[in-house]
Amino acid sequence: MSQIELIDVSIRDGNQSLWGAVALNTAQILTIAPILDRIGFRALDFTSSTHIGIAVRNHRENPWERIRLMHAAMPNTPLQFIGTGLRFISWDMASPDFMQLVYDRLVANGVERFAVMDPMNDATALLQSARMIRKAGGAEIVAALTYTLSDVHDDAFYAALAGELVRSSDIDRLYIKDPSGLLTEQRARTLLPALRARMGEMPLELHSHCTIGLSSRTYMVAADLGIEALQVALGPLANGSSLPDAERAFANLREMGHGVDIDERLLGIAAAYFTHLSRAENLPPGRVQDYDATYLRHQLAGGVMSTTRRQLAELGLAHRFDELIPEVVRVRAELGHPIMVTPFPQMVCSQALFNLIGTERYANVSDQVIRYALGKFGRPTVPLEPNVLDRVMSHPRAREISREAGPPALSELRKRFAPGISDDEFLLRATMPAHLVDAMLASGPAPRHYNPAAATLMKLLRELAVRPRVTDLVIERPGLRLSLRGGRPAPAAAQAAVGS
Amino acid sequence: MQLDDEDVRAILQLLDAATFDELQIETDRFNLTLRRTGAAWTRESRTLGVPREWVPPPGGGTVEAGAGAATPQAIPTGTATEAATATPTAVVTRTSERDRLVAVQTPLPGTFYRSPRPGAPPFVEVGTRVEHDTVVAIVETMKLMNSVYAGSSGRIAEICCADATLVAQQAILMRIDPEVP
Amino acid sequence: MILRRLLIANRGEIALRVIRTCERLGIETVLAVSAADRDSVPAKRADRIVEIGPAPAHASYLNVAAVVNAARTVGAQAIHPGYGFLSENAALASACASSGIVFIGPTVAQLAAVGDKLSARRHALEAGLPLVPGGAVANLDEARTLAASIGFPVLIKAVAGGGGRGMQRVESVEQLEAAIDRSTAEARAAFGDGRVYLERYVAAGRHIEVQVLGDGERVIHLGTRDCSIQRRYQKLIEEAPAPLLEPEMRAAIESAAVAFAVHLAYRGLGTVEILLDCERDCFYFLEMNARIQVEHPVTEAICGLDLVAEQIAVAEGRALGMVQDDLRFEGHAIECRINAEDWCSDFQPSPGRVEHASFATGARIRVDTHVEAGVEIAPFYDSLMAKIIVHGDDRAAALGRLGHVLHHSTIRGVANTLSLHRAIIADPTFAAGGMHTGYLEQFLASRAPLRAPAPLGGPP
Repeated sequence: MSQIELIDVSIRDGNQSLWGAVALNTAQILTIAPILDRIGFRALDFTSSTHIGIAVRNHRENPWERIRLMHAAMPNTPLQFIGTGLRFISWDMASPDFMQLVYDRLVANGVERFAVMDPMNDATALLQSARMIRKAGGAEIVAALTYTLSDVHDDAFYAALAGELVRSSDIDRLYIKDPSGLLTEQRARTLLPALRARMGEMPLELHSHCTIGLSSRTYMVAADLGIEALQVALGPLANGSSLPDAERAFANLREMGHGVDIDERLLGIAAAYFTHLSRAENLPPGRVQDYDATYLRHQLAGGVMSTTRRQLAELGLAHRFDELIPEVVRVRAELGHPIMVTPFPQMVCSQALFNLIGTERYANVSDQVIRYALGKFGRPTVPLEPNVLDRVMSHPRAREISREAGPPALSELRKRFAPGISDDEFLLRATMPAHLVDAMLASGPAPRHYNPAAATLMKLLRELAVRPRVTDLVIERPGLRLSLRGGRPAPAAAQAAVGS
Repeated sequence: MQLDDEDVRAILQLLDAATFDELQIETDRFNLTLRRTGAAWTRESRTLGVPREWVPPPGGGTVEAGAGAATPQAIPTGTATEAATATPTAVVTRTSERDRLVAVQTPLPGTFYRSPRPGAPPFVEVGTRVEHDTVVAIVETMKLMNSVYAGSSGRIAEICCADATLVAQQAILMRIDPEVP
Repeated sequence: MILRRLLIANRGEIALRVIRTCERLGIETVLAVSAADRDSVPAKRADRIVEIGPAPAHASYLNVAAVVNAARTVGAQAIHPGYGFLSENAALASACASSGIVFIGPTVAQLAAVGDKLSARRHALEAGLPLVPGGAVANLDEARTLAASIGFPVLIKAVAGGGGRGMQRVESVEQLEAAIDRSTAEARAAFGDGRVYLERYVAAGRHIEVQVLGDGERVIHLGTRDCSIQRRYQKLIEEAPAPLLEPEMRAAIESAAVAFAVHLAYRGLGTVEILLDCERDCFYFLEMNARIQVEHPVTEAICGLDLVAEQIAVAEGRALGMVQDDLRFEGHAIECRINAEDWCSDFQPSPGRVEHASFATGARIRVDTHVEAGVEIAPFYDSLMAKIIVHGDDRAAALGRLGHVLHHSTIRGVANTLSLHRAIIADPTFAAGGMHTGYLEQFLASRAPLRAPAPLGGPP
């Protein structure tokens, strides 16, 4: 029927959805890179400012070096950075000229594809980011239509947004970004044609999470409706709250007669690699999810729900949980229908909680809600309900926050750090505590080689090393027999004997 | 699973600090032994498994002639073997005479050549008079040419192997009649 | 293009070497095997095997038609020819081109240009490189005339050759005819082409070579190697970078090599061989090898690249990913070739069954081998069993490590040259470095009265 391309999100979105974004260091990614490169993916969803921060903070590895090494190892497959606008690593807003430098450096280090999203679907914000990325030399810019369910987010809304974006020469493609996995087959059958009608020749992609098990079938509907590309993940990094499994999607597409130019053998090898890695590092694989009808109403992910229930219990108010959900729905509407992706589910939930336990609604508001109302997260999709806005702004804290200085200009920011440092280092120092950047730089070049089988073996050996009474040992498992024989204590001269 | 050099080095670093003197890993694909004697670690490998023959995919293309078939026939490509067709084969003598003949054995397994180069006359024929250090043939082993010496004076009584053929260790190439003047 | 399936038309350690890189890159390997290699170690490691003929090389590994047919049959997009065999064979490269199969190596024209040693000399002249006095000889008379003008001793070399096969030194005109006959025969057996040429024999020369890599437009060099430790023009020990070279000389040699490759618009991996005339303190172009070489690991050690991967990248049509300034050379690396030969009995080849093979292992030690207990060393192919490669911060450190590895490595079942290498590195002349190509013969001659034939496989 039609040719469909696949985009792999294992390393960025899969990792973030299932493993807290903290799994996968440079060696683990670089080892599989040559194979990923030859599969035939259109692009790899590779990094974001979250991941860059985690490389420094958690792995003590240079994120720019990682991008460079990956770019060199993957000449056939563009690497993608996903950004949400005027923010890089830290939660503070950044000035436009600072963000321009961020994009410049990403391109210089080897990022070729950029996904731009705005949590409020604000076209102006999206176009502003796209312009900066194009100026930096971004080869392919894909703008997100971030999907959610609400009274205002109907087909007409998205079609209008698409219509605005398609006119810009800074946007090459659009994609439906469904972070909560809400898009049903039925809705896809109306939404996609509505978008198509406004998009002309511009290609469309679909990115839908498996949170309540809808996306693998929605993907097939989208394929039949002529979508150009589908975003998928490999092995243990698929399913759960991540994206559909690549091998399954490939098989389904072919079964339905679509052409997918993918190396099936290498797809299997890559999936097996991540499977072995997940076992070696004790990382839970994504599981196929069951349908949950209530989720379509409140859109609160499991984690947020359980946290909120616990908070109510701690206050002795567990019996009021059933009132909470309708309050969440009401607060969300009053705040202009923010899309329920971090940090907004937490923001809406906390406010609903405050409203329940306080003397009256909006008697207490969080700094986050104030910032949101002031537009610091972007322009809300629809204006806040006027009474609620008044209540929020009448708090003294609102005055303080609105007087906060905007982000410093780039030249100002540079003065705070040593003059000779590279732009790459400056961008990290400007957004992270000095001791973290120092520790990263001090740890030297990242290791480049990883073998999941060896990792398991090394863990075992480390365990045994602390048990000096073990002399002879045999371990047998299906397909593997390991035997260790003890002896005299290791001679002290052993380390010195084999030179430098 | 496979382990490469980097993995072995990492394993050795851990073993170095422990008391173990030997680590053996067996899978169905390989067997690796790391052994320590004194300060030195050594590795010994065995590669297991059965080679997988190429199998054409079902309904796939035809197998072209000359590829993959285990034909014993050599395909001449203009090398020394072309001389093979022109030379006579072995001459057999009666058993009773054989006992007194001196065998000329190959010094090494390899390819037996009767001439110094293709197209040139052979070193000896049946009946040729030879001395102890007459060169009677060449055996080529691992690309090196080894001269074969008569080892005895007399006359060539029989030539036992065909030109440009493989001869095994200690194969008898020729027999010399030592009593013929 | 993206290479997905590769036919490897070679055997032994180099087949394993190519398989290793292909595993890392996710390229499916089909190993072309002769009947004798069906159960070899590389055959077990490859994804698939396909038999291309009986044991003798001319019927299998040297059989262009069989190799190309095998590639077509298995649907391989490319052929890696390794070294030796058909690696510099223009007929194979041509057949690949007309079958739409990628030949991992230079273009047909480049192979012709440097494969014929006389043509290579002409190109070197055009590129401005100095040459060793010498030339082509079509018959004995021409040889006598040319040798008289160059002066004895002369070297006879195979025009279609490489790897030292078919080379001989001739001391006087009386020995010329027999020597030419032998070289011709060896050349024909090894390369299918018996033409020879003559060159002045430089008494005190060092064999220096430069590894180059080109993509058809740009060329970079990956440093020098010194391969002066040779016996009858077969290399035994190689090191990188070439030690004891003045910086200007090193730079001149490297530039000359790059200039030669640029002149050819060279594509792929290649090595420009240089003869350093120690007495006259100058260098000459010798030849260019248009293939990956046995000793490539020492270059990999000092520059940190995977040369097989670089070959594949160029073959896939990609431009070089680096410029000369990106390259850093670190430390010093040495390689010992361990052959199945009895060096105490004039290096007689020792085919047979390996009973035991263990090698020292650890940081900065690399052993490339297809040999393990149970492997049969067949008489049909060369005698290389293992390459021992060490890396150190400097030459002294590398030597120390090399001694450790040689001392703790054991091969039993076939005679082998481990003990020879142990003896060489213990020699103060070797430890000093910068030896010329006559060194090893002198070393062996000086030890002759002390050598007794060794029991098969054991150290003396």
